[in-house]
Amino acid sequence: MNPIMLFIHKTGSPPWFYQKTGYLIPWLWAIFLVLTAIGLYLGFVKAPVDYQQGTTVRIMYLHVPSAWMSMMIYGFMAIMGFIALVWRIRMLEVLVISSAPVGAAFTMIALLTGSMWGRPMWGTFWVWDARLTSELVLLFLYFGVIALYNAYDEPRKAARAASLLSIVGAFNLPIIYFSVEWWNTLHQGSSFGGDGPGIHPEMLWPLLIMATAVKFFYGANLLTRARLTLLKQDHRKRWVQDLVSEEH
Amino acid sequence: MSYTPFILASYLLGTVILSWAAFAPVLKKRTLLRQLKARQARMDKSQ
Repeated sequence: MNPIMLFIHKTGSPPWFYQKTGYLIPWLWAIFLVLTAIGLYLGFVKAPVDYQQGTTVRIMYLHVPSAWMSMMIYGFMAIMGFIALVWRIRMLEVLVISSAPVGAAFTMIALLTGSMWGRPMWGTFWVWDARLTSELVLLFLYFGVIALYNAYDEPRKAARAASLLSIVGAFNLPIIYFSVEWWNTLHQGSSFGGDGPGIHPEMLWPLLIMATAVKFFYGANLLTRARLTLLKQDHRKRWVQDLVSEEH
Repeated sequence: MSYTPFILASYLLGTVILSWAAFAPVLKKRTLLRQLKARQARMDKSQ
């Protein structure tokens, strides 16, 4: 068997996954903390204030990476959910379920920090603008996936239903992304690429570092949650009983 | 208008939500392992 196929097969084994990810998680947390410290230092100390937004631009170093993550995680869930349904790969079902609370957390942060920025800049905490509304729909989709999984007694059936909802809900992602182009919204368009206004490197670097940091947060939190889900689902299996005995 | 309260509130909310996301599964795992250990101890005793 070639090394890639061997790795995929091993990853599909819950005891192997549980053991190996246990070594990886502390490193992911450490990288997240270091990158966050650097990103916040550059964003709060080195980066200048915006000539229009003033100091509220500092909110962007949390808001923008969170908003990106909210969409990226749902995209991953849809892809993993599709593969899990077609090829019946249990580990991917576990990853879909474990991703949902992390995605919901980032969506909540994106919405709340957006509100905190909107009050001084737009004069209101909330408007039923296409970008904000579609992001709120994304939060409800995350809640839906979590609720659907918890509504079933049989975990595999629950995970398959949640995977299906992840795929169906992915229709919202292009709506969120293109909402600022398709509709006349209060939310500004993208500052990256194309006709966007562009960002000064002193503001861009902390933003990119924070965007990278939250990916490590997702990795660490996803693996932690996936290990918990495996323990819950397999609590009557031999490998979990051995694990519990070892920790005596 | 001072923007500081809005910036502080943003980062405070972000910290609270991310902390909850990070610590909730750790606490749940601890509880689950404790329950499994108790179950195993009961089974060992009954045998």
